[in-house]
Amino acid sequence: MVAPIYIIATLLGVAFALGLFGKKMNSMAGLLSVVALGFASFISLEWLAGFWLYDRAAEYIYTAGFKPPFSINLLMGKDEALFTSLINIAGFFGTVYLWDKLKKIGSNGYVTLMGMILGLNVIIMTRDLFNLFVFLEISSIATAGLIIFSQNLKTIAAGFKYMLATGIISGILLLGIIFMYYFTGTLNIDDFLAVHSLAVKGFGVAVFFVLISIVLELKPFPANGWGLDVYESADSGIAAMISAGTATASFFVMYKLLPLGTPQFHMVLAGIGLATFIGSNLMGLKQTNPNRLLGYSSIGQVGLLVTILGLSEFLGERTTFIAYSILISHFLAKAGLFWISGIVKRSEIKEWAVLRNNRLLLILFGVFIFTLIGFPPFPSFFGKWDLVLNMASNNQYFWIVGILIGSLLEGVYLFRWLGYALKLDNAEMPAFEVKWNKVLPIAVFGAATFVVGYFVSSIHPYAKIINYIPLAVALAFVLIDFLPVYVKNTLAILAMAYYYYYLYPTLSSFGAVFGAIFMVGGIVTLIAGYAFKGQRRGFYPFALMMFAGLIGLIEAKTTLGFFYAWEVMTVGSYFLIIRGKKSMPHALSYMLFSMGGAYLMLAGFAIASVGQFNLDMSTLSHVLVHPTWVFILLAVGFLTKTASLGLHIWLPGAHAEAETDVSPMVSAILLKAGVFGLVTLFLAMGDQLIGGDVSVIYLLGWLGAITAVMGNLMAAFQEDAKRLLAYSSVGVLGYILFGLSLMSHLGWLSAVSISVTHFMFKSLLFLAIGGVVWRVKTKEMYRMGGLIKRMPFSFFSVLIGIIVLAGLPPLSGFSGKWIFYNAVMAKEWYLQGALIFFSGMIAFLYTFRLIHSVFLGQLKDEHREVKEAPFWILVPQYMIIGVLLYFSAIPNSLLKPIGKIISPYFPTGGLEWTGQHAVSTYGYWNGLVIFYIVIAIFVTVLVWLIINNRKAQKVKQFNIVFAAERPFKPETSHYAYNFYAHYRKAIGILVEPKITGWWEGVAEWAHAMGDKFRKIYNGNGQSYLIHIMAFIVIIYLISFGGF
Amino acid sequence: MQLFSIEYISLVVGFLILLIGIWGILTRKNILKMVIGFSLFDTGTHIIIVALGYVRNKTAPILDQANLQTNTAQKIVDPVPQALVLTAIVIGLGVTALMLVYAMKLHNEKKTLNIEKYNDLKW
Amino acid sequence: MLRNSLILLVLLGFAAAVFPLVHSYEAKDTLTGVAEHYANYGKEEVGAANLVSAVVVTYRGFDTLGEVTILFLASAVIGLFLKVSETHTKDSRSVFFKSTEILVTASRLLVPMIMLLGAYIFINGHLTPGGGFQGGAVIASAFALLLLSRPQKQFSHKLISVIESISGITFVFIGLLGILLAGGFLDNHIFAMGKFGTLLSAGAIPIIYILIGLKVGSELTGIVRNLKESQKVG
Repeated sequence: MVAPIYIIATLLGVAFALGLFGKKMNSMAGLLSVVALGFASFISLEWLAGFWLYDRAAEYIYTAGFKPPFSINLLMGKDEALFTSLINIAGFFGTVYLWDKLKKIGSNGYVTLMGMILGLNVIIMTRDLFNLFVFLEISSIATAGLIIFSQNLKTIAAGFKYMLATGIISGILLLGIIFMYYFTGTLNIDDFLAVHSLAVKGFGVAVFFVLISIVLELKPFPANGWGLDVYESADSGIAAMISAGTATASFFVMYKLLPLGTPQFHMVLAGIGLATFIGSNLMGLKQTNPNRLLGYSSIGQVGLLVTILGLSEFLGERTTFIAYSILISHFLAKAGLFWISGIVKRSEIKEWAVLRNNRLLLILFGVFIFTLIGFPPFPSFFGKWDLVLNMASNNQYFWIVGILIGSLLEGVYLFRWLGYALKLDNAEMPAFEVKWNKVLPIAVFGAATFVVGYFVSSIHPYAKIINYIPLAVALAFVLIDFLPVYVKNTLAILAMAYYYYYLYPTLSSFGAVFGAIFMVGGIVTLIAGYAFKGQRRGFYPFALMMFAGLIGLIEAKTTLGFFYAWEVMTVGSYFLIIRGKKSMPHALSYMLFSMGGAYLMLAGFAIASVGQFNLDMSTLSHVLVHPTWVFILLAVGFLTKTASLGLHIWLPGAHAEAETDVSPMVSAILLKAGVFGLVTLFLAMGDQLIGGDVSVIYLLGWLGAITAVMGNLMAAFQEDAKRLLAYSSVGVLGYILFGLSLMSHLGWLSAVSISVTHFMFKSLLFLAIGGVVWRVKTKEMYRMGGLIKRMPFSFFSVLIGIIVLAGLPPLSGFSGKWIFYNAVMAKEWYLQGALIFFSGMIAFLYTFRLIHSVFLGQLKDEHREVKEAPFWILVPQYMIIGVLLYFSAIPNSLLKPIGKIISPYFPTGGLEWTGQHAVSTYGYWNGLVIFYIVIAIFVTVLVWLIINNRKAQKVKQFNIVFAAERPFKPETSHYAYNFYAHYRKAIGILVEPKITGWWEGVAEWAHAMGDKFRKIYNGNGQSYLIHIMAFIVIIYLISFGGF
Repeated sequence: MQLFSIEYISLVVGFLILLIGIWGILTRKNILKMVIGFSLFDTGTHIIIVALGYVRNKTAPILDQANLQTNTAQKIVDPVPQALVLTAIVIGLGVTALMLVYAMKLHNEKKTLNIEKYNDLKW
Repeated sequence: MLRNSLILLVLLGFAAAVFPLVHSYEAKDTLTGVAEHYANYGKEEVGAANLVSAVVVTYRGFDTLGEVTILFLASAVIGLFLKVSETHTKDSRSVFFKSTEILVTASRLLVPMIMLLGAYIFINGHLTPGGGFQGGAVIASAFALLLLSRPQKQFSHKLISVIESISGITFVFIGLLGILLAGGFLDNHIFAMGKFGTLLSAGAIPIIYILIGLKVGSELTGIVRNLKESQKVG
């Protein structure tokens, strides 16, 4: 082990020696600096390894040969080893990144940079308060120097503001320190911690000044305008170092000095942190400059960390785990993002579309954003989970709400930015220069997010039992992304098939049903992927990630496992959805609703875990506190995925704009994740009463019924075929929700069987319509017509699909409906039942419109030569049709097993089967007989038509004229345009986008609030000083309850 | 508490200078005057530090006379604040020098020393 | 107006906040805490007659190393800020007037004396009031005088930075010797302690003070020089 003092000696010695280097030896100086920083990293990492692997004891370093408190001592413990490692690594890679810039500046530049890293190392290790002050000043002065690495009006002004602010802050710190010395006769931190508090108020005030200065170093809202200016103006490489280095070290100082504060002060601290987290992210909403945006995010994240410190009394021994996992995520991600920004060199986040020119950087950009928000498998995911769980177990719901709101706000601007980078047009933009020394640090940090994420999960008692293999396989597809699509498609199908084969024996109950939907469904829809040419970059990792998440839901043994899988699924599906050409805004709203829903789930799981001995899914069945809340939170969380009315606005766009084979994946398969969640929830918790008398499930039943009506109504008024299908999914999911809410055997039988058939007919329809859109290049139905002649196979698919959808006999949709009405009658929910019945009527309208506008009528001129849909898109359709016909002819092959699964939970009121003959309380029905009868009727009618229509004259296309006048917009006079104008006149008011408008209002309001708040950052350095002083006075008043 | 004792007067004066410094920093628009405010702020702090190290009726902590070398703790003032103030002064010097250079550079950019004019970065 | 009353309010608030500090203050009658230890054992442990120096250079020597670093950094930052060229081209006309004969002569007379005083102050830092910083500052003032009285005179940037670097490295090196030969980083027992109260006493303190004196002197001179050199026309 190399003694830690050599970190200091090396950095300082080399810094001093650099003065000997002339202008011509800049490369040498650079090399020497990199070597010195590398050596410092080595020492601290060696210590870190020693602590982790060999369980070493912490070691004090004494200076001057005297024991403390008589001399200054440093400590190298586990924490210090970790933090100095972070600092030195940031310094090392930061220097590599800044290589060219530093070389231009010369030895003074290297000196400044080394000085900063040195200062940060010492403030982490020192156990002497005054020494802390000295080295804090070192890093401040060095930072002031780093800021002007690029000299222009902005950096100089920002640097000056920085100096003003840190000048005031360090003055206050010194005042506090000297009075602490006066009252205790020591400067040693460990002595202070032993003294803890004195009777004199003066000592309390002195401690307050010390602590508040450290808080101010962490840039609390609103006394942080100076910090933002620095982030915005400084060179990105420098901003990375400030965000990753200075913020990390300052956080550790706060952590170190935390025990000095009283419990009241800790709560004040938590409040400051939360205000910073929410305030900063709110103000970030309107920001368009990437570096300033990152500054807002940086300050917000540090605020979150401060909150965690303030709440350490509640978090207990988990504080370290939570704080460190979030901190390291922030460290890696923020440095990476600033570095990427330095390569892209765009001052508008909209211009980041240019990032697509470099695939590696784009991937890393995404990785960092997801790391920052706290998605799995990144470390902060586990930190946030533990944070919320521990706060719930202490009844601290206020903090949970605040933290989740802040996180959501951060998600808004980060995902908007990611969306811009992924989707906006970049044709006009010149490429940017990419140098290996700039990419290397980013790549290393990007890889580190995964490594640390894995490490963090392996030391978490519950995270370590999660099965990471599916996710790993999905990520492995990134590595083979260069292969042609058919190879990857085959591999993906094989991987899914193998995993299903492996998993199949372990699946039982509802897991088996939904497992089949997710996995078999996945394989079937993947087959359509063969229709694509080329490489189809970035599709397979995310498709598999989504399926990994879906299957993880079923496999999940613990609530953490469930939540993990849920988030993995969200990430995968987000990237699938955003692949569509115009998907950017829809993917964003999908992501935000998903995040919101996920946070509600997180809160629900957290409350459910209170007082439990473990996190098993089964704990949901005996929730000890606030069971109603748990139920509502989880249910609403799941409803965001099932797109129930009110939470549906993301769905139509997201599903309609998606690619041909993605639409069925997200519409027919993904939505079932929410259903699976609801099934799990209903079974585990049963019904819950609000205020003792209103049943939640009863309300959900109403919601389901209304959603069914509204979804179908909106579907009927769409011009866009895929949008129509998307809205139809909203409606069908309303059905399913209603069916589940019936909480009876038949209700569940219909809900689950509709889940299965909905997968089939919606895949079928989306694939068929997708195939049509693929060929005719438009989604608008009035631009199609007469395609039956050109695309008969697709026509047949749609025909089968809509028959099932509309619940007409003989196909299996009918069995679902039949059971459904039986169930409604049994439950005596006549009003809701009537709504459902009404919605079934509306389903006829849109299904008719779909087949009529697209396939019947006259062929458009431009579609005369159009070909049948690609073969590989038809293949899965006909596989599905085969299964559908089988289920329709022999319905008990589907219904009986499902009934068996339901029976243990709802033993009474099931169907009585004798062969193909099903008997309920209200009647009987024989699927096979109906099948034959309907087929017979159909054949009869067909034969009659063929015989009688032989002499009919075909209407030629140009038999129709426009009465000598050509309409201004011909397409709008087409019958298929505004097909149901008369219905719209009658009930159109129902489908006005009020809910969308409401959500838009919320978004606008939040943006306006953020915009208003950020006006306090008026750019005047003096105002920032007034903020700082006012902040001190106000926090003083709060902490001491007066003067 | 003796209100008019030397240590008390220096402490209060120190705080007054410190407050005047802050007043200057917060109200003067001229950057150089703000820097002077900082100097006052520093100086006030230094006076306070020295005042805090005072022990009533004791002499400087330099043991150049034989009688000081025994039972020293009873005879001298606190050497620690004096050492600390030395460090603080040097730090203040470094910071002030840097601030002045910043002021100079700012003046080169816009030919004004009014802090309000340097608000290009905001929101 | 609103702004001013806000500032007034903040100032009053701050004054009220620091009031408990003043209020709790009472002059001590005797030393306590670490100071008591320094007073009683400083003579044996460090051997410097000037206890302040003992604290500055040995007990809190690490702070002093940091202090030197701050000046060093400030000088480096100013250097990179002003981007003063190390070599002088002939066309870099100076903005300064030519100095008078009296000024030049007087400064010639005074500069060596000031330097001598500075050297005396830092060499005797462990015995009498003073030390490396003070001495270094005095030396730098000699150069400041030189710069003011004879602005046309250039002096070598190279020399300044070499002195600065060498003294800095040696300081760190002496600190490290403390680990090898004595009790820890910056321990002054690496040299003989000598007789208390004489010039050659207190172990490494005089050496360190000389280094600090040179380093501070050269750093401050560097800053002043850089500031002067930046005042160029065009």
